[in-house]
Amino acid sequence: MNVSLQGATSGLTTTAVAGSASPGSGFADAIGAAIGNVENAQSQAQSAASQLLLNGTGDVHTVALAAQSAELSLELFQQVRNKFVSAYQEIMKMPM
Amino acid sequence: MSMASGSIDLGSYLTYLTRRQEVVASNIANADTPGYKTRDVEMPGDFSSVFAQLTPIATETAGLATHNDGNNVNIDRESRLLAENDIRFNLATQLLKSKIKMLRSAIDEGRSS
Amino acid sequence: MSLFGAISVSASGMEAQRIRAELITENLANADTTRTEGGGPYRRKDAVFSTAPAESSFAGTLVEFTSGGSQGVSVSSISVDQSDPERRYMPGHPDADADGYVAFPKINPSEEMVDLMSASRGFEANIAAISTVKDMIGRSLELFK
Repeated sequence: MNVSLQGATSGLTTTAVAGSASPGSGFADAIGAAIGNVENAQSQAQSAASQLLLNGTGDVHTVALAAQSAELSLELFQQVRNKFVSAYQEIMKMPM
Repeated sequence: MSMASGSIDLGSYLTYLTRRQEVVASNIANADTPGYKTRDVEMPGDFSSVFAQLTPIATETAGLATHNDGNNVNIDRESRLLAENDIRFNLATQLLKSKIKMLRSAIDEGRSS
Repeated sequence: MSLFGAISVSASGMEAQRIRAELITENLANADTTRTEGGGPYRRKDAVFSTAPAESSFAGTLVEFTSGGSQGVSVSSISVDQSDPERRYMPGHPDADADGYVAFPKINPSEEMVDLMSASRGFEANIAAISTVKDMIGRSLELFK
């Protein structure tokens, strides 16, 4: 039920630090890992919900917290992604 | 996203309270069943670790007076626990709600640029 | 179990106490019934409670029950007092036997009333449990917001 958002954010920050070594692939890996975490959270929330609705097993609060976790993970990911995109656009605007 | 608050995993705490309340309901329903022994849920050692399924081994509570028919349910105790668990559940959910709200506004904060 | 199961458990408690109360009122109403259809005086009835699984739907109920999960209650049988009835000397009574004795039910109204109060209290306690559990489920749902 608990998603490691740490995993997503730390992946992104280590990329920034180790960016000089291998810029392209490091970043892609970090984004990939972050997406993985978000998907993980979503599927956990889904399975908790269907367990409760179809089997009647599990608790309401567990499903609720899993759903919130998934939503927050996604929102965070989106914000971070937006930041990167606008940073990239800023860079591209710079006259060379 | 870890729903821990300090060293307590509130989600697990809610699960513990839920299991406990279920057992209280059983005790109340069986308050007049001959031979029935009051059950309780053991408090887990710590709430800092996440455990997906808290299965209560309902243990037989010591220190309760037994009636002639073997039943040892004390309705006053069960009524008290009923109220206590409810209040604690309320507290924990309020804490969780405000935590979720804080996380959400922290995330949204960076939005407008 | 789950909180929903707890509601079933409390409902089973209400049902059992209700049946118990009904039998008690029947006892009280028949405290002086000397003649019944089956012959003989009315015999005191008592509800026998026993622990039983409360959730009726799932196949997993039995497993849960044996592993200490859902423990509701049910009236497994109604015991009828088989002991000898109380005999009172009333020669003029229509149900008097050859020696002038009439067989009366062995029912003590005070005892029955105390029993009735206990059943009533148990009934109320189960209602309180349902209300509290419903409250907790409601709060859990608020976590979705």
